[in-house]
Amino acid sequence: MTSLLRLQGVTGGYGDADILQDVTLHVDDKEIVVIVGPNGAGKSTAMKAVFGMLNVRAGSIVFDGDTITKWATDRIVQRGISYVPQVDNIFREMSIHENLEMGAFLKKGDLSAAYDRVYSLFPDLKERRKTAAGTLSGGQRQMVAMGRALMLNPKLLLLDEPTAGLSPRYMEQIFQICRDVRDTDVAILLVEQHAKQALAFADRGYVLAAGQNRHEGSGADLLADREVAEMFLGG
Amino acid sequence: MDMLELLNFYIIPGLVLGSIYALGAVGITLAFAILRYAHLAHGDLATLGAFIALAIVQASGMPPLAALPFAMIATAVVAVGIDKGFYEHLREKPKIITVMASLGIALMVRAVVQVVWGVDAESYVRGIVRPETYWGLRIKDREIWTVVFMIVLVAALQIFLARSKWGKAMRAMSDNPSLALLSGIDNRKVVVLTWIIAGGLCAAAGVFLGINTELKSMMGWQMLLPMFAAAILGGVGRVEGAVLGGLIVGVAEELSVLVLPSEYKAAMAFAILLFMLLVRPTGLLRGKVL
Ligand SMILES: Nc1ncnc2c1ncn2[C@@H]1O[C@H](COP(=O)(O)OP(=O)(O)OP(=O)(O)O)[C@@H](O)[C@H]1O
Ligand SMILES: [Mg+2]
Repeated sequence: MTSLLRLQGVTGGYGDADILQDVTLHVDDKEIVVIVGPNGAGKSTAMKAVFGMLNVRAGSIVFDGDTITKWATDRIVQRGISYVPQVDNIFREMSIHENLEMGAFLKKGDLSAAYDRVYSLFPDLKERRKTAAGTLSGGQRQMVAMGRALMLNPKLLLLDEPTAGLSPRYMEQIFQICRDVRDTDVAILLVEQHAKQALAFADRGYVLAAGQNRHEGSGADLLADREVAEMFLGG
Repeated sequence: MDMLELLNFYIIPGLVLGSIYALGAVGITLAFAILRYAHLAHGDLATLGAFIALAIVQASGMPPLAALPFAMIATAVVAVGIDKGFYEHLREKPKIITVMASLGIALMVRAVVQVVWGVDAESYVRGIVRPETYWGLRIKDREIWTVVFMIVLVAALQIFLARSKWGKAMRAMSDNPSLALLSGIDNRKVVVLTWIIAGGLCAAAGVFLGINTELKSMMGWQMLLPMFAAAILGGVGRVEGAVLGGLIVGVAEELSVLVLPSEYKAAMAFAILLFMLLVRPTGLLRGKVL
């Protein structure tokens, strides 16, 4: 079976230096895949590569049958990938509802089905839809950011550290929402700092270090791997 | 000095001047927030708008207020043209290069005005206008029109920004440009829209300055500092802040005559600008710090 997303030997960076070296990974339909690794490993960079924001010098990125390696960002959005960056991922001065509307900017016509879908995933947001997003708590901001990304009904959602800085309670809630999102037929590729919890929750995982993938496997296998545990999970 | 005198000689003229500054400052604040540079040709574009209206008035005999919409459209077209011809090529370069380029554009636009219309003062209509008296307040019709038009234009802009899809796209681009691009918002269209609005409002500022005083090739350049002071006083990116800032700067300039020789009137704007940058760089309504 062909994967929804496949990075094959991707090498590239922002300027002359290659941050990613020969990265190969894939995400299948309706799968939750997590990338873990130390700070500066290139996890965010790998996501940007998928989203056309990196100078890819070698390798290819195939999504749903199309080679999207050199595509412009808006074309990638249109094709069915949405991306929630690690930081600055909301419009602070706009209301929750307007944040969602901007997420659907490329969609013509009636948006009510898209709003319904996102508000049913995030009931808290619906109550506060007129509130400026910048005044919300960290967890709620993350929900706005995810909601914005889901407005176009993507096939693949890229989440860069959605639980960074959140309390364990919110982290559980975000993970639960990821499962709910996956149950609406959206595959998720996410980067996580909380490696243990994330590997326990994801279907599969990759360990990225110094711009290369070092280990891959099911979440449980990676958690059980002694080398992985020693390197990245704090024993 | 009694209250009526204060209102008649200082506050009312200050509010009228402030409304003119506000029209320019709104464009400056939008350009600042969305394009992220200080646009130094704003004043001279206002001059151009005022003289375009003069040409229409002289050619057709229509009153300047009727010529205003045409002057606004023409100036908006010029503003978009300047962006396409010059600023667009500098988009990826450090912003200071565009700021310097806009200074060059300012000189160029002024030169065009001087070549076409000369350097002598002109006016839309000849003769003296007597103010009407309302409960002791002496107000000229044109002063009422200035304030009313400013309010109508700014209200229309606010509704556009709050309600329309592209108005929201402009706010999104000002709020978080990289996320706006990630959402598929077309930056080039937002930039064109920003110039249409800023150019149109520039022309309105120039025309109302011309209606209330006279037309000179330096008229807009002399408004540049007060307009910037107004935009920064109100908070960069804040339309209602730019209006508030414009009114405050206008009134402050008129009031300054009470304590300072009138040659120092223009220094008021500079003092306000400096004070705000030192004390509260986000402005009264918490704008961006650039
Ligand atoms: N915009 C950029 N321009 C140049 N270099 C960058 C840029 N962003 C990141 N880098 C560099 O790329 C390398 C990988 O960074 P990246 O942000 O992908 O790491 P990460 O694994 O996401 O780390 P973290 O856990 O801190 O988020 C780092 O050395 C970083 O300095
Ligand atoms: Mg990162």
